Amino acid sequence: AEFVAKIGHLESDQQSRHVHLEKVAELVAERTGGAVEFQIYPQGQLGQQREMTEGVQLGTLEATVAPAAFLGGFNPAVSILDIPYLLPADDEAAQAIRSGAFGEALCDSFDTRGVECITLWPNGRKNFTSNEPLADLDDFAGQKFRVMDSNILIEQFNALGASAIALPFGELYTALQTGVVDGQENPLDTIQRMKFYEVQEHLVLSNHGAMEDVVLFNPAFWQSLPEEHRTTIVEAFNEVIPDLIEHKAAAVDAALEEIKAAGMNVRELSDEEKAAFREKMYPAARAAYIERAGEEGEQLIAIYEKEYETAAE
Amino acid sequence: MKALSLLRAVERFTVVTIFLLMVALYFLNVLARQFGGTLASDLAWVEEAVRLMSLFLVFFAVGLALDDGRHVGVHTWRDRIAATTGLPLRKVIDATGLVFCIYLAWLGLQMTIFVHGMGQRSPTLNLPVFWMYLAPTIGFVLMALRYLLSLTGKIDRFARQEAENI
Amino acid sequence: MILLFLVIAAAALLLVLGFEMFLVLGVPALMVKEFFYGNLPDPVVVQKVLGGINHTTLLAIPFFILAAELMGQGQIARRLTGFVKALVGHTRGGMGYTTIGGSMAFGSVSGSAPATVAAMARMVYPEMRAAGFRERFSLGLIVSSAETALLIPPSITFIIYGWMTGTSVAKLFVGGLAVGLTLGLAFAIMVAVEARMSGIERGMPLSWGARLSALREAGWALGMPVIILGGIYSGYFTPTEAAAVSVVYAIFVEAFVFRELTLGKLFAVTERAAVSTSIIFILLAMGGLLSYFITLAQVPGFITSFLESVNAGPIFFLVVVNVTFLIAGMFIDPNSALLILVPPLYPVAVALGIDPVHFGMIVTLNISIGMITPPFGLDLFVASSTLSKPVLSIVSGVWSFIAANIAVLLIITYVPGISTFLPWLVFG
Ligand code: NA
Ligand code: NA
Repeated sequence: AEFVAKIGHLESDQQSRHVHLEKVAELVAERTGGAVEFQIYPQGQLGQQREMTEGVQLGTLEATVAPAAFLGGFNPAVSILDIPYLLPADDEAAQAIRSGAFGEALCDSFDTRGVECITLWPNGRKNFTSNEPLADLDDFAGQKFRVMDSNILIEQFNALGASAIALPFGELYTALQTGVVDGQENPLDTIQRMKFYEVQEHLVLSNHGAMEDVVLFNPAFWQSLPEEHRTTIVEAFNEVIPDLIEHKAAAVDAALEEIKAAGMNVRELSDEEKAAFREKMYPAARAAYIERAGEEGEQLIAIYEKEYETAAE
Repeated sequence: MKALSLLRAVERFTVVTIFLLMVALYFLNVLARQFGGTLASDLAWVEEAVRLMSLFLVFFAVGLALDDGRHVGVHTWRDRIAATTGLPLRKVIDATGLVFCIYLAWLGLQMTIFVHGMGQRSPTLNLPVFWMYLAPTIGFVLMALRYLLSLTGKIDRFARQEAENI
Repeated sequence: MILLFLVIAAAALLLVLGFEMFLVLGVPALMVKEFFYGNLPDPVVVQKVLGGINHTTLLAIPFFILAAELMGQGQIARRLTGFVKALVGHTRGGMGYTTIGGSMAFGSVSGSAPATVAAMARMVYPEMRAAGFRERFSLGLIVSSAETALLIPPSITFIIYGWMTGTSVAKLFVGGLAVGLTLGLAFAIMVAVEARMSGIERGMPLSWGARLSALREAGWALGMPVIILGGIYSGYFTPTEAAAVSVVYAIFVEAFVFRELTLGKLFAVTERAAVSTSIIFILLAMGGLLSYFITLAQVPGFITSFLESVNAGPIFFLVVVNVTFLIAGMFIDPNSALLILVPPLYPVAVALGIDPVHFGMIVTLNISIGMITPPFGLDLFVASSTLSKPVLSIVSGVWSFIAANIAVLLIITYVPGISTFLPWLVFG
């Protein structure tokens, strides 16, 4: 092929992200007549996410599909996606925000950070699990939850009166088993794949945190592509989104079934409860976000809140 | 070689301070979690900080390790091969090490400058990430210096290994 | 092909000529970069060097090294081994079994084979020598016993494998316990044979009174294993944190109970541990660089197409798996081997009807063996630097254990029941 892009990401080769990256690779190869080839390296074979993102800046890697939660250090503006209950529950309404003015402004914020943002990909929503009961909002107080490295997520748990504990992902299973932490938050398919249900009793289907992926290309590589190839690539990434959402939903359903069969106590949140959660967590996380992202963050959140109101109507 | 003993003193003091501080921070983190609440959340940066400190621990100690002949390697045949073939093997190793370490220090500096330019910051500490790449840059400079001193006969970094082989 | 040969020849030459091990790995890695990936920006080298050591879970290694140094310089180690000797010192080869049991207990919680070697070596080596074991055998046993760290739960290796393949971590943990115990049993047999062959005599058992006073003597020192094991299993801290806690406990006991640790001593001990850490981490760093290029070379794809072309049956397939992992383990670190090699091999294993838990055991045991096989076996270097012994002495001691390991590996590979019986019994 004339243009070869190595694309690195963290998920396993059976998960939605990888499956659809392969699909995009197929579409792109077909539509460019084999001129553009994507080589996909899953499960962090090329390094941790920070290394891969640096690699995209440096040009050692042509592209990466990165969870937004791992990009805050590169671009504080993107941490807006860490804010709980940011996207509406409805998939279509969420996609409207993702692909509308908000998504565009968010993507543009990467321009000054040495990477080219192509699009946002959905990757499910987080839910809470714990070994302590999570029957209502007040139950969170005093519990210890593992968080990813992010100030906004720390504030999210502080707002609930819980402790946020930073732990490496690899140590989480054992930490849940021995009780170093009481609970954690992840999408259902991660909870199933990591077998957290083997060491957790309670699951709340809160769907509180959107797991958004950002598709990033190396600017020099991107500019080296002819205009038509660039269009083809962007279209291919956007075209598979409905499939991606469907694939993820199926994975989540299968995961939930397995989790239930394993005897976990599963509770669904009512809409009122979700609203109560949002009311409690959103302001704290929002404040933490603006503190970190400054004026750029304020502008972005203004665009978001306008879009969210429109979507809510 | 007064300068070298001063450098060694600085390196030793640095690694010992960093190491004990790492222990203290980690211990504090464990204690804070027993109390729970926001106190535990407030210390979420410890993990990241200690990981960064460990990089400085390693790269401030590699030069000391080289001085003392403590880096691992299969030294058993080296001097015998040198004697049989007449090759100045120790000098060859010193020269190779010198070039290798200068090259890596140079790359480290480039990476440090690059990451500094990109403005990347760490997620919880909000510390500029270029600090991380400064560690290997310093470490390879410290080793290059030892290789140079050994090459020019100012220090004997092989003494310990000879004793080991007897 | 010629270039590849050149790289391998260079590595071998540097090794034999006595270059520092990090140069033995680093210089050929730079050659690979220039020959095969010349178009990649050069700073990637530093990035991958750092990537090899920038992991929280690796922190257990420096902390346990420091704790072991403190205990060795002070009283804790002597009192602990004194107590063990009072209990088993009269049996033939009791110190050997103690080494195995201690390493299994420690490896279980630390989950890190190098950390286990670092923590155990200084304590048990002098005692094994004093009990009459040969130098080689003692070194080999210390290094190999630590391997059980990856197998006996908790084990991050199993968690990563479970994530990649969707296998139950709980079942892997139970299976790992069975395999780890099998390995321990094999080493115990070796100790029994060695003790007989080198004519180690039975001693007189101590009176219960003498044992009781040894227990009293050990009091504070016994707190060490109690705190580490108890703290982890009761959820007070993670294995990595336990390492830091053990340092604090050692400083406290040595300084305030035994009153022998001065500030000057603490400084010297900490410096020594820091230098040992740097020696190990610089190798891990170079290993990170090497693994990166192996990934880029897409070796896994080559293995898959080879397996397809020969249309392998289960037995031949498992031979290929064992050989691949053993070779990989000679050069790269365990977690990289797992990430690079499991994706291409696992689907084939499933297609051939091999149980996922069984396959996980085979893979993990292979990886553990990789940590003690020369030329690049991290545990060999850890033992070398913490005991101040030439690498070759460690290597010469380890051969018979590698043979025993391979025997166990063959049994585990071809008798799936050992891996799957316990998980079946527990989970149905
Ligand atoms: Na373990
Ligand atoms: Na090896």
